[in-house]
Amino acid sequence: MNLSDKIEQLLMKVQKPAMYMGGEFNSVMKDPASVKMRYAFLFPDTYDVGMSHLGMKILYHTINKRPDAWCERVFSPWVDMADLMRENDIPLFSLESRTPVKDFDMVGVTLQYEMSYTNILEALDLAGIPLRAADRTQGPILVCGGPCAFNPEPLAPFFDLVALGDGEKETHDIIDCYLAWKQTGAPKDEFLRMAAKIDGVYVPALYDIAYNDDGTVASIRPKEGSGAPEVCFKALVNDLTAADYPEKIIVPYGEVVHNRIMLEIFRGCTRGCRFCQAGMIYRPVRERSMDRLLELADKLVAATGYDEISLMSLSSGDYSCLPELAHEMVRKYQARRVKISLPSQRIDTVLTDTLKETQKVRKTALTLAPEAGTQRLRDVINKGVTEEDLIRSVSDAFDQGWNAVKLYFMLGLPTETDEDVLGIADLAEKVRACYFAVPKERRAPGLRIVVSVSVFVPKNDTPFQWSPQLTQENVIRRQQLLGQALRKIRGVDYKYHAPDISYIEAVFARGDRRTADALERAWQLGCRFDGWNDQFKYDKWMQAFEETGVDPDFYATRERPLDEVLPWDHIDCGVTKEFLIREYQKALKGELTHDCRKGCVGCGVKRYKGACV
Amino acid sequence: MRMIVRFGKRARLRFISHLDLQRFFQRALNRTGLPIAFSNGFNPHPVMAFGSALALGWTSEYEVIDVKLAEDVDALAAKEAMQAALPEDLPVLEVKMVGDRTPSMMPLVCAARYRIENSGVTQEMLDRFRQAETVMAVRKTKSGEKEVNIRPMAYEFALTEDGTLLAELSLTPENTLKPDLMVKALTGEIPEGMRIHRTSLLAEGERGRRIPLMEKL
Repeated sequence: MNLSDKIEQLLMKVQKPAMYMGGEFNSVMKDPASVKMRYAFLFPDTYDVGMSHLGMKILYHTINKRPDAWCERVFSPWVDMADLMRENDIPLFSLESRTPVKDFDMVGVTLQYEMSYTNILEALDLAGIPLRAADRTQGPILVCGGPCAFNPEPLAPFFDLVALGDGEKETHDIIDCYLAWKQTGAPKDEFLRMAAKIDGVYVPALYDIAYNDDGTVASIRPKEGSGAPEVCFKALVNDLTAADYPEKIIVPYGEVVHNRIMLEIFRGCTRGCRFCQAGMIYRPVRERSMDRLLELADKLVAATGYDEISLMSLSSGDYSCLPELAHEMVRKYQARRVKISLPSQRIDTVLTDTLKETQKVRKTALTLAPEAGTQRLRDVINKGVTEEDLIRSVSDAFDQGWNAVKLYFMLGLPTETDEDVLGIADLAEKVRACYFAVPKERRAPGLRIVVSVSVFVPKNDTPFQWSPQLTQENVIRRQQLLGQALRKIRGVDYKYHAPDISYIEAVFARGDRRTADALERAWQLGCRFDGWNDQFKYDKWMQAFEETGVDPDFYATRERPLDEVLPWDHIDCGVTKEFLIREYQKALKGELTHDCRKGCVGCGVKRYKGACV
Repeated sequence: MRMIVRFGKRARLRFISHLDLQRFFQRALNRTGLPIAFSNGFNPHPVMAFGSALALGWTSEYEVIDVKLAEDVDALAAKEAMQAALPEDLPVLEVKMVGDRTPSMMPLVCAARYRIENSGVTQEMLDRFRQAETVMAVRKTKSGEKEVNIRPMAYEFALTEDGTLLAELSLTPENTLKPDLMVKALTGEIPEGMRIHRTSLLAEGERGRRIPLMEKL
């Protein structure tokens, strides 16, 4: 029996066989003999999650545009499938051609979330690829990228290359370098030295790390003679309009998380919220032109048959010609029954009116993210919204017939006090009052307010990268405090989570190279799909830390002095450390920094050629 | 005007559920550029009907979808448009145009033909089955399990030289015999590597003969 037949036998026995089936419309098939290199894009979570990810669509498209390379998709098999694969000696395979992952030239892994790290080790093991880069003299080159790549140290021993920043050009540079090296027949070490010269590439094996007696990092230096740079700068695509963007996307069978056309209208964000990593690492703002967006929308609708286009970005309301764009798209697609949606939580009124008028927006819950309960704390995190903004938004919504509001907050933000926590309940109470202020005959019956509270995880490359995470005991106490206050308000649904997953997330967000041992041990103990509540095994994680001598508190709940060498200091994400220090100090004083469209705030991204012109 | 499309479901896509296939066709029809008629209401969707649902894991060369069009379209043009909108493993095999007043096709279905590989059924088992008047088997339905006599629902059956079982079995809302149930009744178990393939859907023809559904048009 060949591999494909063996796979099909297993599919009869698993929960969701369609996740491993392949053969979707617009998936790319090539003749293996016609290409010089084969690239496996591994998304370390399930098919349903991975197929909703825009970055993968972009890279899949841009690699497959090359006649000399073939990019195929690989997802983490769910636990039932993974166990069956092990029992039956079936290696991890690609969806398109069902080729074992270990037979590819290169495997690219996207790092979207720290809690998917054990899935990466699980995938490598299922593929039969040695976990540690140092143990691999042959087989595929492993590359990682994505937002978490800006602190790649917890994964450094497992990857050959780290691709920082925008992938549209960088991915081709890496493939070109690989093809050039393959021709020479030189050993892998030579490839690593060649790759270290590529714009945006960091090669972990070429650096030496020294530690102080107190466990902090003393220095991170390129190995002598390696030719690796002291600081690795991210790759930056300045012109998004000219950059590759898929004109065909795969249409999955079955429902995936976001089953629609995703149109990235711009990259980056100018708001400068201090807790937000995306807002820092994706700088500067780069818009795709309206003409290009309309052209892409046309092609994508024709190529997929989707009936919804989502205008994506970190803050879609900030697109400079948003009303024009939305209006034009609604005009073009109304007759074709294609809906236009905006995932952004900052919808300005002009736009809401445009959309409301023309396409009968379904009145699902209005989602707003005040993030913190008091103005003081919202100023600390530089979330430029006031209580008046919020009151105006919800009053408008209730007046127009909405009856459901979702409010998102974070618990454990730096400087947070009980007063800030109780402020969340005050806000919910005020939102409730807004509803009852609307005359009874005008408002929709059945008010629902959802207060959803997550636990703050301080991230690298943000002004809060020096801040301690709130201890789990304190998180639980404050969650209870808030719960008691919210219980007194009718019609409020309070959602919160146990803080243990966020605690582990905090360890790896700011972990150094030594945390890799704990990660590997946790995986050996059976941890996988840690972001899934029903799979997360806190006790195994604690056992792994214990056995590897890694103190999780050192990484999660310790406040760092400003002069400490941080494990990611040799990686340049665009903004400078000086800027982050300045923002941290302003945060502690509750001082705001304005949106940089109103004047440069000196974040440092201007150091990049062609940025912010 | 209505467009009746016969298509196949090849091995690679045999794990798409019937529900997912319905959703998939909504998008596929949007891609065709054909003047598909949409339902009224808040969430308009193409007006379409499927033939009998194929079980997960089975393949087929006789799946039928009935789609309402808002304008007349030439059958050949429609076939080309459908082919372009479907993946390789859902091949378009036949397209016919019928008037809006043509009765719905699906109630016409009375039986189906199957090709069953690696069934483990022997000639001897088949002969015994043929001679029996009653063969009781437990059929699982939505409302529970029920013991039924499956023998009258098996119209034709034979083994080919290479041991493939061919069977023509009743397929109506009241009386349906699924090929896997027949195999289980014959052999006592369903072998792991068994492959079921639907070769046609049949309708009542003249003088009680059963003819392929598309020929009924």
